Amino acid sequence: MKKLLHIALNELLLLRKDKMAVMWMIVLPLGMTFIGGLVFGAFGGGSEAVVIDLPVVDQDGGEMAAVVLDILSQTGNLNLETTYDEETARGLVADGKRAGTVVIPSGFGAAMISGQATALELIVTPGGQTAPLLEGMVRGVTSAFSNVQTTVEVAFREVQRATGSTDLDYDGIAGRAVATALERLHDPPVRAQVTTVGSEEEEFDVSGQIVPGYAVMFAMFSILSAAGGILEEKERGTFKRLFISPIPKWSLLGGKLVAQFLVGVGQIGLMFVFGALVFDMDVGHSPLGLLLITLATCWATTSLGILLVAVIRSRKQIHPITTLIILGSSAIGGAWFPLFLMPKAVQQVARITLVAWAMEGYNRLMILGGSLADVWANIGVLILYGLICFAIGLKLFRFKEA
Amino acid sequence: MSVITVENLHKRYGDVKAVDGISFEVHEGEIFGFLGPNGAGKTTTIEIIEGYRVPDAGQVTVLGLDARQDRYEIAERIGIMLQETSLYPDLKVGELLRLFASYYRGPIDPDTLLEMIGLEEKKGAFIRELSGGQRQRVVFILTLINDPELLFLDEPTAGLDPQSRRAIWDWIHLAREKGKTVFLTTHYIEEAEDLCNRVAILDHGKIIALDTPKRLMAGLAVEQKIEFVIQGALDMARLEALPTVTKVLDDGQGEFTLYAPEAQPVLKSLIALAETQGFTLRGLTVEGATLEDVFIQLTGRRIRA
Repeated sequence: MKKLLHIALNELLLLRKDKMAVMWMIVLPLGMTFIGGLVFGAFGGGSEAVVIDLPVVDQDGGEMAAVVLDILSQTGNLNLETTYDEETARGLVADGKRAGTVVIPSGFGAAMISGQATALELIVTPGGQTAPLLEGMVRGVTSAFSNVQTTVEVAFREVQRATGSTDLDYDGIAGRAVATALERLHDPPVRAQVTTVGSEEEEFDVSGQIVPGYAVMFAMFSILSAAGGILEEKERGTFKRLFISPIPKWSLLGGKLVAQFLVGVGQIGLMFVFGALVFDMDVGHSPLGLLLITLATCWATTSLGILLVAVIRSRKQIHPITTLIILGSSAIGGAWFPLFLMPKAVQQVARITLVAWAMEGYNRLMILGGSLADVWANIGVLILYGLICFAIGLKLFRFKEA
Repeated sequence: MSVITVENLHKRYGDVKAVDGISFEVHEGEIFGFLGPNGAGKTTTIEIIEGYRVPDAGQVTVLGLDARQDRYEIAERIGIMLQETSLYPDLKVGELLRLFASYYRGPIDPDTLLEMIGLEEKKGAFIRELSGGQRQRVVFILTLINDPELLFLDEPTAGLDPQSRRAIWDWIHLAREKGKTVFLTTHYIEEAEDLCNRVAILDHGKIIALDTPKRLMAGLAVEQKIEFVIQGALDMARLEALPTVTKVLDDGQGEFTLYAPEAQPVLKSLIALAETQGFTLRGLTVEGATLEDVFIQLTGRRIRA
């Protein structure tokens, strides 16, 4: 046991001397997490609503056009710009500086009152992502105006039919009817009543996903890279040098694995401290649960490492294979995006990766506010995963060649 | 007293017999050498004795202990210099020595060892900064870090410059003077002749000769080679007429080589001839058989062919 610890300590000393390894273990993960935090808004404040600048060219200038502007301005996502002429507004859209522009044509109001066909013109760039949004908003306005116009026309005909009069003042009646209808647009008799049930939805803490996700991914890089170091030592001859020293072979291998395990635990711990200090990350209510999930994750990864080293015989082969495993399992296992947001099929496939079990545990504790009882299954599966890999890896590991 | 006993050792890699029924003993305090070409089975044999490899058959005892059963106890008492050992390039020399010292029960102070090989000023240098010769010296003192009773040196001077080679030979002699037994493998003839008390010549996994270098060479019917340079002309026929001379070579520029079963009668007659003919002999050398000749006679091939 003493020699095992000696080997582990010496392994950590050698690791400390390897500047590239230190960069991989500390600088890169913290840097990537910081950048991830910036990109996904982990610094708080949540995501702000997108506001679209929309030039509106009012060529009508009448009361109806003012109503159009009034309705559009009530749409919270639009910032109406009414100072441009049509040519300038079209130019802004064509240059990609604006998503679209609305032109209220001359005679819009008169046509509206007289019951004639008219149109609001929406100019957008083809394929623009906000074009459907703008189109929906403008259609909402034109739909309201069409309804008013239809209602006035129906009402006028009913009056005409009831009175039998053929010389009624259409424009006067229509003008008053339109004015009344437009007033109702501000105070509609039929409203959409929105009722909320349940507790208020908590704001999603992005750092609670990013930090453990990146921590698990980079811990896998560190642990599996250190495992690959055994192959490097074999090829370099230093493993043989150690093997012929008075060190039991299980202490030799065990010492190296203990060092890898400690590196993984230390790295995840450091990432969590970083997350708590920089992002004010919510670590949930179960520190013991977090600790056990972390230990189980590092155990499983260390065991996976010895399995890979036993199966793969050359250092050149192990690096691309481990990279593929880490990135692949991180992508589908929930290290990059919460597992519960992924399609069901992906969630099922992800079950074969240790990352999925680890991330589900972290998500339950940190995002969903779960307790230790909620992650026992994850801890158990990770321990079992490690045991299986360890047993097979040990069976196949060759201390010496031929 | 034997410190190593090997009986009927066999080791095969697939269809290749790397070691084919080897038996020998190494005595306490001697420098014992394995000489042979690459692939003769030297390294496989030494690695079996060290406990690194498992033989297919045969018995090996080291310091009275079973090489396999008592591997850890043996490892505490022996020093091993591998044929190819890379060191950790990012460690300093002092750190490396302390690292390996930590694996043994009673290590020697690393500073003492550094002083012994004249590298004390390199204690703080990174391994990657050392020259090839300096690195090999560090590898050599790693072998001594546990003050071993028995040293295994596998091709200890392979690829080294003459100065570093000579230095390591000196330390091997020194180790022997301190009572240590040395078992080395080499394919350098001079190394075996200069260092070893006894030499086993290996070929195709078998020991084809085992004795002191002098006895091995004395047992050969190899002619002596006498070389000299003269100033002035000399009739070849006079040289060919010298007693017991079998062959004369003349390079045309005054340098002659004579071959004869024994050098002594030729030398007497040659000196007499020089006096009567009035020429001076310069650069006179007599060269006898070498271990290379022994190997050639036994196998028909050169060691480094």
